[in-house]
Amino acid sequence: MFARAQRGFVDFLAAALCVWAAAYYTPAGALVRSAIARLISSVDETRPLLAYYSGGVYDSHDVQVPVPPVIDTTALPSGLLPGSAIGRGVWATVSKLPPSANQRAEVKAVTSPAEAAVIIDRLKRELGVETDDAAVLSLFTSTPVAAYAVQRARAEGRPITLESLALQLPPTSRAAIQAASASLTLGTAYSLGWPVVTSTPVTSPFGYRIHPITGAQQLHSGVDLALAIGTDVRVVADGVVRRASEDDLNGRLVIVDHGHGVATAYCHNTELLVENGAHVKAGQVISRSGNTGRSTGPHLHYQLNLASKPTDPFVFRDQRTVPELPSAAPVGVEPPKPPTQPGRGSSAELKAIFDKVGTKPDIGGTETLP
Amino acid sequence: MITLFRRISGFFAFFRWLFMPVGLLALIAVGVHAAADVVDDQLLVWVEGLDVWLDGYLARSEQLAAWVLKVDARERTVIARVLAVSWELAVDALIAVPALGYDEDAGARASLRQVLTRLNQAPTVMRILRPIITGIFVVGGAYAVSKLVESTLFVALVHKLSTPESSSAAARIAGVVAMLTVLVSHGWRAVVRALQHADDASEARRLKKQRVWSTGLFGTALALPLAVALLLQARALLSFVL
Repeated sequence: MFARAQRGFVDFLAAALCVWAAAYYTPAGALVRSAIARLISSVDETRPLLAYYSGGVYDSHDVQVPVPPVIDTTALPSGLLPGSAIGRGVWATVSKLPPSANQRAEVKAVTSPAEAAVIIDRLKRELGVETDDAAVLSLFTSTPVAAYAVQRARAEGRPITLESLALQLPPTSRAAIQAASASLTLGTAYSLGWPVVTSTPVTSPFGYRIHPITGAQQLHSGVDLALAIGTDVRVVADGVVRRASEDDLNGRLVIVDHGHGVATAYCHNTELLVENGAHVKAGQVISRSGNTGRSTGPHLHYQLNLASKPTDPFVFRDQRTVPELPSAAPVGVEPPKPPTQPGRGSSAELKAIFDKVGTKPDIGGTETLP
Repeated sequence: MITLFRRISGFFAFFRWLFMPVGLLALIAVGVHAAADVVDDQLLVWVEGLDVWLDGYLARSEQLAAWVLKVDARERTVIARVLAVSWELAVDALIAVPALGYDEDAGARASLRQVLTRLNQAPTVMRILRPIITGIFVVGGAYAVSKLVESTLFVALVHKLSTPESSSAAARIAGVVAMLTVLVSHGWRAVVRALQHADDASEARRLKKQRVWSTGLFGTALALPLAVALLLQARALLSFVL
């Protein structure tokens, strides 16, 4: 059935290419590589099996989102730079990179959020793209490599997102893709507004607590904001409604996907004003707060998920309005350890500062200097 | 030079029994992964839909309500990815692993003419669909191989040797050559091997006087949605000329 071909070398090359692709491209290949690494006692560099999808970006199993550093607010110029949020995200990522990680001149040039924003803006113009994704990738790889990925993604009819661009690059670019992924996730988180008036009291912060109904100690995955029933709840950034549903625990809830691995949830509403799949704009009223589900009183449970992990939203609230920011809780790694006293979670100190200082309403991701 | 190439080829031909089956398996597996990567996002949408439905019921019960909180965004993503990996590995086992049975010296086996005759006279779901599904995975796999070759070469060249334009052109040519080489060398063999495997399985069931039409139905049903998903991405193949 199969004629024995004479071109043994060509067939061998083809087989080698297939095996190479399978080893670096598929979960099955990862299993084999991992097994071989264990057999010969070498370092296992394979990614977790579940990280082999969607270009391996915004993946909680792959990208360890760094702790956002405290930003020196006095270094920021008066007036808002267009890419200040992504600048913060890039700077937060770069400042956590080990010195040996990336020696590119552009990466070294990122000495502040403002500088990062200027560089990203320049790279966007050089690449002729509107979104931040390619520019951030360009920062961590190089302009020709990012331009190549953009050109290939366009040729395949894909959108110019980091997921698409990552699919165009070889395994050797993995570290750069991860850094870009973390930058975009953090940058998007920094661009978020607040769902209600920012002076709204926080009744329960993010972190471990004794659940007021079950009595069990568990992670409170968001912040509870005390609101009168019927208060407008505004979406904190542009996005797509991934879930608008109701159950006896969360009440009427909305989950909005903002892209770049960032999603926000709004629970215990009395009325939902959007449906699944709806595209929403920053500041749009998506629900009215209430006391539905398991709730001890009228409030909004506001939750921020970064790379699918619940994260303290106070870490990303406009930090320029806060005079002193305590060191933040690890983001996207492990939640803070259970406290000995109920109600004292990772954001308890942040809450105290916000309650004391108070801030202007900041809806829709627009940032204004005080 | 030609003599040297023949000698090298002759040397490698000695190991064909090893690298050809492994190459076929790898090629199909790469194609299966390309397909699984396409359906991954849709799986997450389905998992979220199922979670909404389940939450509505679980939250009503005191005992089960804790599960509503336990399955959050992270868990939903993990569930969707686990489903994708499981689906992919299952299809690998049912579609790609039989390629290891590739044997160029199997004189006792039916000839291609005999296999095609049986396909014509006693068509089964497996005999018809398995080669088609495998063919789709093969093309998807060959395209993924070409992308890997192209991108690796581009990054290597542009950082050290040449301009972006010349690096891109050289990498593009290498990618196309890699894809054609894989298809000519392995592609058709993978499809014919899938037909041979389907014929062997169908014949085995016929000899046992079992229902032949349902041979390999599970594997085919499992692989078909992935193949269709990959087929819907076929436009990407045009990227070489765009």
